[in-house]
This record gives sequence, structure tokens and C-alpha cells, in this order.
Amino acid sequence: MSLLAIRDLEIRFRDGAEERLLIDRVSLELKKGEILGLVGESGSGKSLLCRAVMGLLPSRKLSVTKGHVSLAGRDITRLPEREMLDIRGRRIGMIFQNPTSHLDPVMRIGDQIAEGLCRHRGLPRAAAREEAVTILRQVGFTDPPRQARMYAHEFSGGMRQRAMIAVALACDPDILIADEPTTALDVTIQAQILRQLAELRESRGLSIILITHDLGVVAQTCDRIAVMRDGRIVEEGEKRRLLAAPQHPYTQALIASHPSLPHEEAVGDPYQPHSRPLIEIDDLEVSFPAGGSPWARRRFKAVDGVSLRIGRGETVGIVGESGSGKSTLARTLLGLQPVTSGHVAFDGSVLTLERARTLARLRREAAMVFQDPFNALNPRLTVGETLAEVLRVQGKVPRAAIPARVNELLDMVGLDRGFAGRRPRSLSGGQCQRAGIARALAVDPTLIVADECVAALDVTIQAQIVELFRTLVAAQGLTLLFIAHDLAIVRSLCERVVVMQHGRVVEDGPSAEVFARPSHPYPAALIAAIPSIDPDQPLAAAMPDPRSQTQQEGLLT
Amino acid sequence: MIAALGLPVRRRPMLAIGSALLLAFLLAALLAPWIAPFDPIAQDGSIRLHPPSLAHPFGTDNFGRDVLSRVIWGARIDLQIAVLGVLFPFLIGTAVGTLAGFFGGWIDALFMRLIDVILAFPFLVLMLSIIAILGPGLTSFYIAMALVGWVSYARLIRAQILVLKTQDFAVAAQSLGFSRTRIMFRHLLPNALAGSLVFVMSDAVLVLLNGAAISYLGLGVQPPLAEWGVMVAEGQAFITTAWWITLFPGLAIVTLAFGFSLLGDALGDLLGVKE
Repeated sequence: MSLLAIRDLEIRFRDGAEERLLIDRVSLELKKGEILGLVGESGSGKSLLCRAVMGLLPSRKLSVTKGHVSLAGRDITRLPEREMLDIRGRRIGMIFQNPTSHLDPVMRIGDQIAEGLCRHRGLPRAAAREEAVTILRQVGFTDPPRQARMYAHEFSGGMRQRAMIAVALACDPDILIADEPTTALDVTIQAQILRQLAELRESRGLSIILITHDLGVVAQTCDRIAVMRDGRIVEEGEKRRLLAAPQHPYTQALIASHPSLPHEEAVGDPYQPHSRPLIEIDDLEVSFPAGGSPWARRRFKAVDGVSLRIGRGETVGIVGESGSGKSTLARTLLGLQPVTSGHVAFDGSVLTLERARTLARLRREAAMVFQDPFNALNPRLTVGETLAEVLRVQGKVPRAAIPARVNELLDMVGLDRGFAGRRPRSLSGGQCQRAGIARALAVDPTLIVADECVAALDVTIQAQIVELFRTLVAAQGLTLLFIAHDLAIVRSLCERVVVMQHGRVVEDGPSAEVFARPSHPYPAALIAAIPSIDPDQPLAAAMPDPRSQTQQEGLLT
Repeated sequence: MIAALGLPVRRRPMLAIGSALLLAFLLAALLAPWIAPFDPIAQDGSIRLHPPSLAHPFGTDNFGRDVLSRVIWGARIDLQIAVLGVLFPFLIGTAVGTLAGFFGGWIDALFMRLIDVILAFPFLVLMLSIIAILGPGLTSFYIAMALVGWVSYARLIRAQILVLKTQDFAVAAQSLGFSRTRIMFRHLLPNALAGSLVFVMSDAVLVLLNGAAISYLGLGVQPPLAEWGVMVAEGQAFITTAWWITLFPGLAIVTLAFGFSLLGDALGDLLGVKE
């Protein structure tokens, strides 16, 4: 018998006369010890469904209008709040995408775990503390007695996620609902957390619902997959069958747009050193003040001795995990961040020597595309106003021709011309990012720097934006510097890859070569940690890195 | 009628009532010569201290002047106090806050220390001393407000600008070669303004009460001009026998203040939703 059964569940939003169907007759089952992957893009209703199971609908305007949820044979759909309290945590635990906002910042990790133990298992304080240490060890903490006395902010992102798993496990639930638990994490950390979840299933017989938008993640960890779209389950089935022979067109599209097709050839012509570099970086160092006493200021080196030459027309991917200095490098290159030492030159003008002249050239010949599409556009201006302003300031297009050029730009990025009159708030993430790219193109640049510009988008949208870049680069002869933490995307777009770690370049070469035969252990580990969509390509053990190890122990540098 | 002004009042009672109250006072001020039944400063010894009656709905004061007419004419001065008393501090504070927040460094340090100095004195004491130096009168009051009142606006705007200037769209504007003036006034300031526009409304209430208080102390509007604060002050001596002299201008102050604060709250909701 299944542990959790959802039958014909329907959730509606009602506000006055307005009514919308958000979850449409969803039926799902979860067996004991099973990991079910719930896949879908933002707005598909996957998180809402799981909140409904917990009886935690986020607004009073939402209600379950039909169907029921039963836990081990008992209907829990309309239980009074008092009884739901015993189910939440005790029977069903939940972890979230952003552990920082779900952990109490002023309570020690050990105490947060012990709290649940006292509440649900009725353990006395001292026993609960000891048990908390045991649980911390189970979820992969290296020195639990010490770490139990630490606070959430003292841990790295991956360790915080482990801590949240520990808090959820404290009450020994039968079911763990994990809502995008690894989306905010670096790929090597993601691999560790996924492996941890699989181990917990083995050791505790835990059933897990794993909500994610990444098919690679479910392929690596789940037994069964359910694909959601617009509040409906469009397809459900055993992992291998579903991935090998998807029936529904949406599932097929999702699988096709997944960037990690493991045996696909990397793109691009064989990499050849270009004769005249557009960008020359020599021994660049960029550092920030990092506290310390006034007479012994410490500085944090974000970029630490990087030398790089990038030729005209090259597409270069800069890859690295968070904190590797890739964004700082890009901003320094565009003159948005002061250079601490070393040299940066753009097309022969040296930024560090002739700052004003180089900046003037950069502003007219280089443009940037940002990570968060909503944040990157002025919320008070319409897309048309934003583009027209750039054209006016740049002065490359005669004033009378500006409206026509705005339309051209919208065409280039595949936005309907009607979008000129809309504000960013009324656009979707993908549309917004297209507007951001149009703004960059308005400069008529030779160089585009894209900083994590697809990281915040859904996979199908990601694939579209990457495709857009590919056509633009081919059609306009642009030089593209594409910064990403997602290696698979870089591989499918860039002919050359630069891998950064701790502010240094650890690998630089043609994509095909780097991905096939990485010469440095770090890129090798990064590549191995990409969850492949092929379930038979297991996640490789991530390389223990001495510096991230200290972070994992909570000693943030 | 209010809906005709383009305000989204549907299902927003606070916005509707607030703007209706302000509109009513505005009309009273504009139409005072026609709707006021008597001359506000004409004295008539034969009808001194008459209680409210049909001829004088709000009664008469100790000089035999019609209180209703004086309250209506008072709207002119009191609305002016509320608007001008907020406008100058708002303009100065916004400019200072934008510059300090955007440039940082010594400009920021200079203005922030100046603000600390101004805040170190009790508000009313500072106001009174400035007015005492300049001599009593409304002009002095406005100058004093402008000199002292800008600090809150400067702080509000500066905090917003500090956050906004690190946002991607500001960095983007910089990377596109926009001038600093353009970035400040076209990209940062419009996004920073929402909070202080709401504050303007609640500040108008405070300024109104301040103006009334200053006039009450004899440093603002001078008799025989009709101003609500002055009227309350004059009526004080007769509070036990002729309560109407004090009550009606007092009610006018409270109602106008209420209108401003309702509008402020509604505006906050309206702009907050957009954030």
C-alpha cells in the first residue's frame, strides 16, 4: 500500500468574483522508501501541491475544492489545525530551496534540532541534545559536537542545507518533501546533497518527494518521475522508462532542452589563438577590504593573478562556482570595478593607463547582460523607453530613426513589437531577459559580457536564450564572454572555456578538449558533478577541495 | 468626482475618503469669498460671544466675528502651511539625499554629520529659535521648516539610493555610458521616491499641527487674520463659557490632518503593491 496518496486533488484561488484553478485533478502516490521526482517549471504548481499536502496553503484565498490526501490510509485533507501539527514534522518533514531563510538565525543549529525532538518525541533536553549530534553526523557534518553549537550564518550554503535536512529529520518523519533543495547550490555541493538524500533513504527507509526543475537531478536520484505543467500531471512513470520514451510532448521538450546530453559533441571550430586580441588581461588582481583591525586591514582577493587573451569573435565561457571571482573579473573588465594591480586592455587601450579614454570606448563598444532579468531593467521605464534611451545616449542612430531601431532590436531578440509599451513587471523572466539582451544590442557592441544570464530562468527558457545568443553571435560577429556556473550550458554555447577557482584560472582551452580531457582536477570534478540526464551515468564523487573543506567545517574565511 | 481625477478609488475606501476630505478643504479655500457668509475679520460688538444659531452656525467670537466664516477663510492659510511647509523640506531633502547616497564619501559624511547636528536639538526649540531670529510671520515659519524639516527626507532618500545604486539596472546604466546626472535623476530617484511620497502625507499632518502650534504661540500667523491655530489660541480664554470659538477650528485641524493621513496610508498601499 502506498504511504501517501493524493487523489483527484483540486485547488482553487478565489478572490471575490475572480476564480482560477491552480491544481487540476492531481493524483499521485508515494510508496515507502521511494524517491519521487516532481518536475516542472516555475508556476507549474509543484510547490503548491506539496504545501497542500502539509496543510500549509500560503493564502486564505486558496482552498482545496475537491479530492483528498491520505497518509497511510488516513484522510488528512481537512484535518483540524491541531491534528495537522502532529503530522507536520512528525510524519512529513519539509526542506526548502533557501535554507538561510528557513533556519532561525539566532538559535544554535543543535538547539533547533533538539527543539523538534522535545516537541515531537518527548525527549528530555539533554537526551535531545545528544540525539541532535547523532543526526548531524548522519547528514554529513564532520565534527557534530562542535558544529551543533554554531549558528546558521557560520555555515556555507551546502552545510546550511544539510542542517535543514537535519532539522527535518529530527522528528523521524516517514516522508521528506524537498522543495528545490539544491537549486541555490554549486554543482559539486549539489552532488553531495543529492547523494546524502539517497543515503538517508537507504539507512532510514525514508520516502522522499523531490521537487525540482532540473531533469538531471531527478535522473540521478529518483525512482519515479511525475512531470507537472499548469497544475496538471502531464506524465508520470518509472524513471528509466519516462526518460527513454517520454510520451507527452511537454516531457519531450523538457528532455530535449536539458543541456547535459553527455555524448553530444561540444560546439565550435577547433580553437585557434587569434592574431589580434580584443581583450588582454595581464596578472590582474582585484581585492576588497575584508574587515580586520584598522592597522592590519585584511583584504579578500576576488581575482588573484589572472592573465587572459580573448580574440575578436571568440565565444568564451567563464566557469566556476560561487566565489570563484568570475563576476568580479567581468565587471573589472568593463571598468565597473577598480583594478588593484595588473593590467586590463580593451582593443589596444589600456584601462589602467588611460582610464578615461578606455572607459569611453568600453561604454560604446561593450555591453553587459545580467543575471536577474527583473532587477536589471529600470522598473519604471517601459522596454521601449529603456531601449530608446540607450540609443539616444549612445548617439549612433539619428534621432528620427530611433523608433524604427527599437523595433529592429525587439525583432532581433524575438520579442513582439508590442512589448515596447510594457514595463518589466508585466513580463515573464524569459521576456525580461530578452529585453535585457536587446538593451545590450542597442549599444551595437563588439563585446557582450553575459553574467549568469540564464541562471534564473526555467530550462526551456534557458535553451531559448542560449539559442538566441548562438544566432546573435553568428549573425553579428560578436565577441561573447559568457559567465556561468552551469558547465553544460557553456559547453553547448562556447568554443572556449576558462575555468576559475578561488580567483585563479585553473584551466583554459577549447570546449571539446576541456570537457573530454580536463587537465586539472577541479574542472574534472566540476564536470563529473553535473547530474546527467542519463540515469546510468552516476554522479561522480566530488573532489575534496582543501579550501571548501574548511568552509564545510564552518570556518568561513 | 474623485474617480474622475483618475485616482483608483474603487474598493479603496481610505483613498476615497482621504482625497474627498482634502478636496472639500481645497474647495472651501478656493471658494471662500463666495461661500463664507460673513467677512472673516469684520467685527460687530453687538453680537459678541453668541452661541451657534441659524444665522451663525458656529457661533461668534469675542469680537463678534462669525466663526464659520473664519474657519472657511482659515482653510486658505492652513492648506498653504501644509503644502509649502512640506514642499521646501521635501525638495531640499530629496536633493541632498540623492547626492549623499549616490556619491558617498566625504559629501555623504558631511551631510550626515550636519543632519546629526540638527537632530541633536529638539525640533520645536530649533524652529522657535530660527523664527525668533527672523521675526514672527509665515515667511519665517516656511524658512524655519525648510532649514529643519529636510533632514528626514534626506535620510529616507539616501537609504533608498544606497540600496538602488547597487542594483543591476544601475550598474547597467553605468555600463551603457549614461552620465551620472542621468543615472541619479532618471534611474535612481524615481525608484526611490515612493517611500518619501508617503511620508510627505504624514509629514503634512505634522507641519499643519506645527504651524498651528507656532501660531498659537504668537510666532506664526498674526491676528486678526483667520488661521485655525490662532483661533484656538484666541478662544482659549473663553473655553469654559464659549467653547465653540475653540472647538470648530480645532475640529477643522483634526479633520484636515485625518484626510492627509488617510491619503498617506492609501498611497503607501498603492505604491507598496507596485514595489
